[in-house]
This record gives sequence, C-alpha cells and structure tokens, in this order.
Amino acid sequence: MINATLMLRWSGAALLALGLLGASCKRKTETTEATVSSATAAPTDKKKESIQNIGSDTMVNLAQAWAEEYGKLAPNVSIEVSGGGSGVGIAALINGTANIANASRKLEPEELEKAKKQTGKEPQEFMVGYDGLAIYVSKSNPIEEISLEDLSEIYREGGKFNKWSDLGIKSIPGAKSDDIIRVSRQNNSGTYHYFREVVICKKADYKSGSLDMNGSKDVVELVAKTPGAIGYSGLGYATGDVKIVKVSKKKGEPAVMPAIASVLDKTYPISRPLFMYTPGEPDPQVKAYLSWIMAEPGQKIVEKSGYVPLNKK
Amino acid sequence: MFTETPLVRRKARAELVAKCVFGAMALCMVTPLLLIITHLVWEAAPLLSFEFLTTNPTGGMREGGIWSALLGTIYLVTVSLLIAAPVGVLAAVYLNEYARESWFTRVINLAVVNLAGVPSIVHALFGLGAFVLFAGIGRSILAASLTLAVMTLPVIIASTKESLGAVPLAFREACWNVGATRWQTIRRIVLPNSITGILTGVILQVSRTAGETAPIMFTGAVFFKKVPEGDIFAYSIWDQCMALSMHLFTITTQVTDAPKALPYATAVVLLGAVLSVNLTAIVVRSYLRSRKKW
Repeated sequence: MINATLMLRWSGAALLALGLLGASCKRKTETTEATVSSATAAPTDKKKESIQNIGSDTMVNLAQAWAEEYGKLAPNVSIEVSGGGSGVGIAALINGTANIANASRKLEPEELEKAKKQTGKEPQEFMVGYDGLAIYVSKSNPIEEISLEDLSEIYREGGKFNKWSDLGIKSIPGAKSDDIIRVSRQNNSGTYHYFREVVICKKADYKSGSLDMNGSKDVVELVAKTPGAIGYSGLGYATGDVKIVKVSKKKGEPAVMPAIASVLDKTYPISRPLFMYTPGEPDPQVKAYLSWIMAEPGQKIVEKSGYVPLNKK
Repeated sequence: MFTETPLVRRKARAELVAKCVFGAMALCMVTPLLLIITHLVWEAAPLLSFEFLTTNPTGGMREGGIWSALLGTIYLVTVSLLIAAPVGVLAAVYLNEYARESWFTRVINLAVVNLAGVPSIVHALFGLGAFVLFAGIGRSILAASLTLAVMTLPVIIASTKESLGAVPLAFREACWNVGATRWQTIRRIVLPNSITGILTGVILQVSRTAGETAPIMFTGAVFFKKVPEGDIFAYSIWDQCMALSMHLFTITTQVTDAPKALPYATAVVLLGAVLSVNLTAIVVRSYLRSRKKW
C-alpha cells in the first residue's frame, strides 16, 4: 500500500514545483503590466501592494517605526523594511530592486549616473529628517567637550592624538591603558562616509587599527563596555550607559550638546540630513507613503525615535 | 582455573577507567544541550505565551510577538523543501538505480559532494546573483527558498542515496529475475524499503533551513514587515518576509532597549520548532521501521 500513496505524494510535490515555475513566468509579465498601468491610471484596486524599503542602518529603526504606524492607516500597503547600510540601499536603487532606498548621505554624482544608466530613470530625492551624529565615550571618562580638530587628530590617518593624555585627560577609572580605543563603522555605512567627510576631510583616510562595527547600536554598546573608547553614532542610539560629549567647531568656540534645537539651528557641527530615494517618479502608493512621512504624523515618529524632524516653515 | 593475578587486576582497573572516561565524554555531549535549553527557557519565561506566537512585533520591535517572523520561516522552509525534496530524491534515485559508473556520474557525484561543502554565505551571494538579479525574481520568498533549496539539495541527495544503498542488492536481483523492469523494481521494492531513511533525511533538512540566516539575508528576508495576524496565507511567494533567525539577529544587533527576554523567547520558539520537527522525524522513522520485515 505504501507504494501507491508514495507515488501520489511525489507526483503531487513535483506538480506543485512545476506550478511554481509556471506561475513565476506568468507573474513576471503581470507585474510589468501593472507598473505600466499604475503609472497612468489612479490606484483604484484594493489589491495588496508591497513597498520595498532598504538601506541605511542609521535609519532602519526609524523606517521600521514608520512602516509599523503606516500599516495601521493603510492595511493594504505592506512595507518591507531591510537594513544593511546606505551603500546596500543605493546598490538596490541602482539595480532597480528597491522602491525606496534609505541613505544617511547624499547620492554621489557617479552613483546618480549609474542609477540613470541602469534603470533609465532619474532617481528622486526626498529629505525626511535629520540626524545628529553624537560622540560617545564611556561614563567613567571625565572628558566634557571636544573640538572637530581634536576628533580629526584622533581618527585621521597620521593624526597626532593616540593617547587620552594628549587631550589632557589624566586617567580614566577602569581603563587598562592611556590608549584611545577608536570605534568606527564598516565602510559601506553612510555614517562612516559622513564622518570622514565632515571630521576627517575627504582626502584623508581613517587611521588604521580602529574597531569597525557593523551597526549603529554596536558602536554604542562597545563604547559603554570599554572605558578607554570613543565612538560616533546616531543620536537616536543613545542609551543611559554612555556619555555624550559636547562638540565645538573650532578650539575655543563654544561646545554644543547634540539635541533637536542645536541640530535644527545648525550650531551642532556634525548633523546631517536623512534621505529616501526612489528610482524615477514614485508610483502613487509610494508617493502617498512618502508624503505621510514628510507630514506631521511621520515627523512625530522621527522625533519619538530620537532623530530630528524637518524644520516646519 | 581462573586466579586473580596482578595482571588481571591491572586490566580490570584499566577497563573501569576507560569506561568512566568514555562515559563522561558521552555525558559532555548532553550537557550543553540541556544547559542551552534550560538557560533559554529560564530567560524567556516572562514572555512565553500563545499570544507571543500570534501577534506581530510592535513598539519598534520591542513589544508584541513574532507572528510575521514565525510565518515567514514556515513559508521559507515549506517552499524550499517543496523544491528540493522532489529534485533531490529523484536525482538520487537516478544516480543510485539507473546510472552506470562513468565519467558523467563521477562528475555529478563530485559536484554533489562539493556543493555540500559550500559555505552558506556563498550560497547567499549565488542566490542574489542568480535568482534575485539574473532570473529577475527579485527579493522574495521564492528567491530565498530557491537559494535554501540549492543549499539543501546535496544533503538530500546524499542521504537519499545512502538509504537507497541500504536496500540489499539481493532484493533487486530477485525482482529482476522474475522479469520486472527497473522502474517496477524501484517502485515496488526499492522505494518502499528505503522510504524511512529518505523521509528522515528530508525532515532533518527542515531544522537546517529554519536556522539559516545568511542565505536569506540578501535574497528575501527583511528587517520588518507587518502581516495580518492569524492569517496563514498572509504572504505570497512574491513578497519578502521576516524570518525567525533573521529576527533574532536584528533584535540583538540593531534594536536598542529591547527587553532582555525578547531575543531569548524568539530563540526558544525557533529551537522548539526545530526540535519538534526532529522529533516527528524520529517518530515517523520508528513507526515505519517497525513494519519492516528484515
């Protein structure tokens, strides 16, 4: 008896696999038709639509919070959020595999060209908020403020500061040595690129020997556990276990604490806009989502997640 | 007459020491599993409930349950096995029952062995290049399942070949001698006698598929996606999905201030699902084996 049921089982499975393959061909033509028609006709159908949103690790928690809230308003739109870094998002934009790419830096001209060439459409940029890049040290570190020049000396290739005593810090309770333990990010991170641009200057490179972390949260966690460490990460990732240092533009100028007000009036020197990119004109569903993000309810979530909302005019 | 000489006593002592040492090693095997399970369940206890399974993550993934991730994992495992099991079993039947020893089968066998040794992250890159970009499927459950299927195929082929090989050649010869064709022999004699092993091999791949993170990270698993709660048809195979393994990774590395019990509870669900599937495999095997007559 086994053999009869067995036959049935295997042939059923094989049929299913064939069906899947068949469906895959059919579905592909359907979606291309759908994108063509949705560009011209208004979205009247109640069909479930998914928006692929991928990119910046700095923004992934924010993007998740938006997707969660928006899901309550528009249950037929399903937003698929993934992280990986601004570089991953921009690569997806260029490959045409994302509806929205999150980036914590501006698209570079070469990337814009590439995207245009690959997809045949001009990527559209939407500014959705700001992020203050906070300088984190351990709680036991007595340092209160730091200038951009000093930060550059710490992180830049060939920079002079390698020990906390170079900065005038005598001793840090719990630290094993006087060495500054530099915590940085992996090189496809938008935060990594932005920090290099603003603090290190574009031509110079990072000093080697830093601990490069894969996520914004990892930086803060490592700094919290390491008394001699210094690191940079988004303000939204601050926890009670680390200390945020005030930053001044130049030595002698007043140092400023990163906060919503100081980011918005630009007195805090290392803050950056956060972007969402779409390949070409967004289709109506994506457009509706983006306008919701840039309007009051979306911006409230920006503030709640620890980022800085857009300045209302 | 047997007398207790010093030599005999020394031998007996060596025997005892060997038994104790080997026994202790065997015990070492069990302890990590028990420790892992008790530790996980202990830490996860405050969150474990039925609601945890059936609600979506909320509050920036700090509250709520794991519904969308659990369902995503079920989809990935099911679809990948639907693809890998028929292909793998049929290929193994061909290799073991039909193919003669030649350069062609040797190349196939070599490919199977080597494919089994490819690290999962390489499968991930292959899946991204082949299914997502080249085939144009896009990041989706289908692309991720195909990647997982490619990863599990060689193991299914190897385990199936082994079970087919365990059927004594005399059975086949007896069958051929009464005039049966190869296909009749396979259908009536070989498969019924090896189905236990084949099924076990396939089911054991469930646990491997459910736990993999790398192959699905680039091909279809997402950080967050909301699906209707309680609807088991919430995903289509063209959607991207959340998955338990990926969810565990993201809540520990990316979400700040998540309650400590949350990753543990997710791990308990993943482990529980895998262990229960393995248990099913054991039950099925012992049931079918009890009906075997040789």
